[in-house]
Amino acid sequence: MIRKFTNWCVVAVTVMLTAASFDVYSQGETLFKNKCSTCHQIFKDGTGPKLYNVREKWASEGAKEGSIYAWVNNWQKAAATDPYAEQVSKIKPTSMNQFPDLTKEDIDAIFNYVDAQQDPATKVAEGPGGSTDVTVEQESGNTWLWIVAGLIFVTIILTLGGVRRQLSQAVAEKEGGNVNDYPSYGAEVRQWMWKNKIYVGITGLVVTLALLIMGIQALGNINVMEAYQPSQPIDFPHSVHAGINGIDCKYCHNSADKSRTAGIPTVNVCMNCHKQISGNTPEQEAKIKKIYEAAGWDGSEYTGKTKPLVWNKVHVLPDHVYFSHQQHVVVGGVDCKQCHGDMTKQQQTARIVPVEELNKIEGNIPLTKPTLTMGWCIECHSEKGITDGPLSDKKSGYYDEIHRRLMNNDRTLYDKYLKDGKVTVRELGGWECAKCHY
Amino acid sequence: MGTTKKYWKGIDELKETPAYLEGRDQEFPQSMSVDEFLGDESLNEASTGRRDFLKFLGFSVAAATLASCEAPVTKAIPYVIKPENVTPGMPTWYASTYYDGASYASILVKTREGRPIFVKGNPDFGFTKGNVNPQIVASVLSLYDSTKLKGPKFKGAEKANWSADIDAPIKSELASIKAKGGKIVFVTNTIISPALKAAIEKFKATYGTEGNFEHIQYDAVSYAGIRKANELSFGKNVIPDYDFSKAKTIVSVGADFLGSWLMSVEYQAQYGETRNPDAAWMSKHFQFESNMSVTGTASDYRAMIKPSEQAKVLSYILGKFGVRTSVPSDLQKDVAAIADRAVEELKKTRGESVVVAGANDVTVQVLANKLNSVIGAYSTTININNPVNLFASEDEKMYNFAKDLIAGKKTDAIFFYGANPVYTLPNGKEFSKALEGISLSVSFSAYEDETASKCKYITPDLHALEAWNDYAPKANHYSIAQPTIRPLFNAASVVESLLVWSDESVIRGGKDSKVAYRFIRDTYESNAANTVRFDLLVHNSCIDTEKQIASAEFNDAALSNLKYTQPAKGGFEIELYQKAAIGTGLQVGNPWLQEMPDPITKVTWDNYITMNPVQMKKLGYATTYDERHGLNLATVNVNGVELELPVVPSPGQTLDTVGIALGYGRGENGESVGAAAYVTKEYGGFELDENGNKLPVGKNAFKYTSYNNGTFNYYTASDVKKSDKPLYAIAATQIHHTVMGRHSIIKETTLDIYKSTGKEAYNPSNMLVTHHGEVPVSEFDLWEAHPVEKIGHRWAMTIDLNQCYGCGSCLVACQAENNVPVVGKHEVRKGREMAWLRIDRYYSSEQEVATGLKKDRKNFDYDEAELASLNPKVVHMPMMCQHCNHAPCETVCPVAATNHSNEGLNQMAYNRCIGTRYCANNCPYKVRRFNWFNYPSYKKFTQVNPAQDDLGRMVLNPDVTVRTRGVMEKCSFCVQKIQAGKLVAKTEGRPVQDGDVTTACAEVCPSGAIIVGDWNDINSMVRKSSEEKRSYQVLEEIGVKPNVWYKTKVRNDENAELAKVQVDKPVAHHEAEGHETKKHH
Repeated sequence: MIRKFTNWCVVAVTVMLTAASFDVYSQGETLFKNKCSTCHQIFKDGTGPKLYNVREKWASEGAKEGSIYAWVNNWQKAAATDPYAEQVSKIKPTSMNQFPDLTKEDIDAIFNYVDAQQDPATKVAEGPGGSTDVTVEQESGNTWLWIVAGLIFVTIILTLGGVRRQLSQAVAEKEGGNVNDYPSYGAEVRQWMWKNKIYVGITGLVVTLALLIMGIQALGNINVMEAYQPSQPIDFPHSVHAGINGIDCKYCHNSADKSRTAGIPTVNVCMNCHKQISGNTPEQEAKIKKIYEAAGWDGSEYTGKTKPLVWNKVHVLPDHVYFSHQQHVVVGGVDCKQCHGDMTKQQQTARIVPVEELNKIEGNIPLTKPTLTMGWCIECHSEKGITDGPLSDKKSGYYDEIHRRLMNNDRTLYDKYLKDGKVTVRELGGWECAKCHY
Repeated sequence: MGTTKKYWKGIDELKETPAYLEGRDQEFPQSMSVDEFLGDESLNEASTGRRDFLKFLGFSVAAATLASCEAPVTKAIPYVIKPENVTPGMPTWYASTYYDGASYASILVKTREGRPIFVKGNPDFGFTKGNVNPQIVASVLSLYDSTKLKGPKFKGAEKANWSADIDAPIKSELASIKAKGGKIVFVTNTIISPALKAAIEKFKATYGTEGNFEHIQYDAVSYAGIRKANELSFGKNVIPDYDFSKAKTIVSVGADFLGSWLMSVEYQAQYGETRNPDAAWMSKHFQFESNMSVTGTASDYRAMIKPSEQAKVLSYILGKFGVRTSVPSDLQKDVAAIADRAVEELKKTRGESVVVAGANDVTVQVLANKLNSVIGAYSTTININNPVNLFASEDEKMYNFAKDLIAGKKTDAIFFYGANPVYTLPNGKEFSKALEGISLSVSFSAYEDETASKCKYITPDLHALEAWNDYAPKANHYSIAQPTIRPLFNAASVVESLLVWSDESVIRGGKDSKVAYRFIRDTYESNAANTVRFDLLVHNSCIDTEKQIASAEFNDAALSNLKYTQPAKGGFEIELYQKAAIGTGLQVGNPWLQEMPDPITKVTWDNYITMNPVQMKKLGYATTYDERHGLNLATVNVNGVELELPVVPSPGQTLDTVGIALGYGRGENGESVGAAAYVTKEYGGFELDENGNKLPVGKNAFKYTSYNNGTFNYYTASDVKKSDKPLYAIAATQIHHTVMGRHSIIKETTLDIYKSTGKEAYNPSNMLVTHHGEVPVSEFDLWEAHPVEKIGHRWAMTIDLNQCYGCGSCLVACQAENNVPVVGKHEVRKGREMAWLRIDRYYSSEQEVATGLKKDRKNFDYDEAELASLNPKVVHMPMMCQHCNHAPCETVCPVAATNHSNEGLNQMAYNRCIGTRYCANNCPYKVRRFNWFNYPSYKKFTQVNPAQDDLGRMVLNPDVTVRTRGVMEKCSFCVQKIQAGKLVAKTEGRPVQDGDVTTACAEVCPSGAIIVGDWNDINSMVRKSSEEKRSYQVLEEIGVKPNVWYKTKVRNDENAELAKVQVDKPVAHHEAEGHETKKHH
């Protein structure tokens, strides 16, 4: 937000300085983004050369006056009339599109907008820095403090009691009294327990059983993958791609709807955008450079020397588990965020999102077991209803047939299923071993 | 059941030997594993004391606990540039063609992330109609054989650089040979590739001088006799196009046309079409043979003849048609009786029958041609105008060339492609010596095999799944093979090598070479007759053009020159045959094929002499064997070549004949022919012979082939001498996993009975006698039924025993699809083979015993049963998990690792299994397999299990778990395919249809015997099939309610015994009785 704000300030100042109307400026931005930005960047050469101060450049390097406007309208015509333009036309092998519709005013608006921009490389050096602070919630340690204090307190009382007892015992010994009148705590407890052995026995049994059950339940909640967030070769911010830029998950993870795996994007998918976007800050540039190295892109062409990126897998299922993204995404209509959380806010590398966080997301089925455990999977299977079929508008011949068989052949069972208003995955066999294990 | 036949799987079962009984009652011999553990020598070497052991135990438990709290880091490496047609996690299928010199089929190859993992037939295109054989299915594993050459070799040294180290010297040598007018010889298998032919022509034009270039086509097993006979009979040196589907009477004289003869892959489907008892007609099949072959087991009438008697049988039948020849026609009485029966049928079905003969002998084949022309086959079932281009072996040329070479006649250059004469020639040893003197010898073999290791240069060709190829297998058929993987090694297509050598402008392209592709495409497109676009051709893998109309005039002059030599009296006649798995030994290093039980003997990992047990008994051979008792060895001696092999009982083998399989004994001088071609030690490593060479599996019987009358012959005669050596251990799956002699397993009837009676006669329901009278067993339930019949799906299978020939394709397909480990000979011997699917082969005899009676002396005579086993009928029964709805295994599992799904599957959760093996003990079908070892890592299996090889592992199916030690496994009905099939239906928004869901075994079944589908869909094929009159469930009476149905075997013969028993029952009688009893109550 802060950065955006500064941007706007700079923009406003520049607008005033250039004495152009805000409208024209805005028009320039729109035109630039619509017509030019596919190939041209402001401060860097992309497919086309950089556009910053290009009018001055042409003028200073001996172009005919007005020839730059002719170039934009029809570069071939311009090249035919102006020797400088002809020279420019030989720089890049890619031919530029023709824009005969753009008036001189339009073109000026574009260049005004472009020239008004500030080079981020210098901006970073001057500015307060672009990093956004991550607010880390301080976990309250109060509970633990209280417990520790309580324990200390109890220990003090017991120690004091013991000292008192020993003193009394010593006194009694000295005075020749009965030492046994002051038995130790242990002996006292044993005596009491023996007297109430039935109650103690029953209580003991109950406590043991309870501990056992709790223990087993606790084992079930152990999750070795909890909040697993391995380091990655590229510190990939989902928040920028899925969040700020709003890229659909399935643009990069494009086999999620046609395969068992969602697919880690291949480098050629990255290059679809990053051929143009090489980063605005040194950190970004460093990260994106790794993509270029992997793709063998030297800034102007592919060298053919590729080097695959080796990622660390985040969501690792054991080998004996078969999970199909296609089944869940296409057939089940499950949203990515049900299992992966809100990736638009994930600023660091991907991680396994704890179930508590998943539950907070709107639209998610709340679950109790730790993420990526079998308990978590099958819990969802008994919650999630089959959305297709006669129960919804979404028609699926497959589930229609399943519903029909249920309806015709075992109405009571069907009614039983429908008591909660849905036929759950579990009721159609979502808890069967061989659904996932083979 | 209605029949009173007794079925038995082996002599052991028939005779109930003590060892058999012990093995039968104890499916998993426990003592073996303890002995074995203590017997492991390395155990004694360990000096760990008890205290140390406990310490280690404590530490390792603690370490394991700690380790399990931290997840290991898994790497994920995406493509840099994703190939357009690859979706990670999803299979990509390619249509291609398989040809290895012997087997040909249009295939579909399943690849995952660029790795071929499964091969099946292409049902939509090609005349093989989706058929394959076990060798084609297994070829995908041979692709990943790490013992193949990694690159070209020159004088034994591996060279990385093709052009500098290989091409340049070869070219300069060729140039100098050309300059002096030297002789160049090409020895290849039958070449059906137009492009390769053109490349050889180009080579010839560059280096061949007039009369000094010779191209010899030479196949390991030749069918030159057929070609020569056709030249004599019709003036055409061709192999005709057979069509068994139109044959109402099929007479085969020694031709195993469902197993190994000619294009058996094509004939299987054609034959299957004629074996449907519900169709308008069903073929009658007469088989005259000496070895029991799969074709013989499928036949209706089987006569036992000696290999030398094939001509006599044909002459006898011709005689009945009034054609007299110079060949004698005296036959034994029982053979003559069956021949008479065949004549009767042939006369009835003139123009609708076919006669085939096996011997590679001109006389036999001319007689067969004459007979075919007499019965009018040449206008219907045999088309001589649409010749088959395969099997063009030029025996005469090859024999003379080898003879001359051995005699010292010089050749300047020799090239071997697809031919391995050092191994396959009877005089291979001398031939290999003669090769040493040749200045330029080049082999295109992918292995440093028998012939290649004698050559100066080895320029390895690509595997069939790595290369572009084109084929013209028949006059009216053109097909393309496309690569399904980037070449694994530094090998090059033979087309490329030849072009590079003969054309300066052609440059090698390395692994991404397009040289062969361009040439194949140009060859196709340059022919104006080819109008189909090349990319469409690649997509379909093949095109058919119009067939020439069948017609032929037999030239009777051919009959005037018949040569028949009476074999010498005494001794045994030896028939050399090809096994379904090993064939001519091309893929002998393939562990799947080595471990595939032979369809008849059920022996794995071995070559042996088959002999009739009746004769073995007389000669004092051991006829029973198990994991502790082996079989006698015997020596055979032909022309000074002595082979020592075990003698395996094979009922149905003609007396005084024995059979020995070809294709074994490869690499006996230490050549590299593949990983699994050698005998392994029990605890890993190879057995070595006295020279330190690895000991090959079996012995090479090609040494017994002989050259006679212009062709190589595959039978000979010799004494068989019983050896005094200790008994030889045999690994067979035959006596394990028996069905305890229960009679409701196989149901069989004859066509006449089937047509004339009701279902109750030949396929009676199992009844339970109650006080209400007889009630079908199916009405009784001990447990509440699973709701599988009502909701969702119920996956079911039907297997038609009439269509199962026991070929074994399903066995290999199952192994490939489900990552079933290979366990090696020693483990198979102990009954620990892991195959999820087995084919039980039941011999039947005429021994009578009424249903329900005890087999005691009074009503069951073992001696008589033995006599009947001389020539038994055979039924093959694929047996896998029956997915019982009331599964006995499920109720005894203490941890519910095996339980029932609501789709009728008996599912197995490996991670839950604790290995009690109760389930296996409680399974009436004996289909559960226990992982005794960690097959993917234990040293004992390093040599045999492909999963232990870095390259072999690539064949594993990533959708199926690789099981670890201590868990049970069994057929899952290919649940991964069921899930995938359902998902297709779901994403397309339609109900599951026939074809969505199938299993690996059903996919490769040549005759469609296996049908899989959703039984709850009343219109599905499987539902209809299961409700047919012939359908029954194995062991229905025990009430486990399987989801697999079998269909009664119907033979088109007469069977007086069956006819006596299988009669319509007066059903009303039972009902009346029932009512009466009710009244009494």
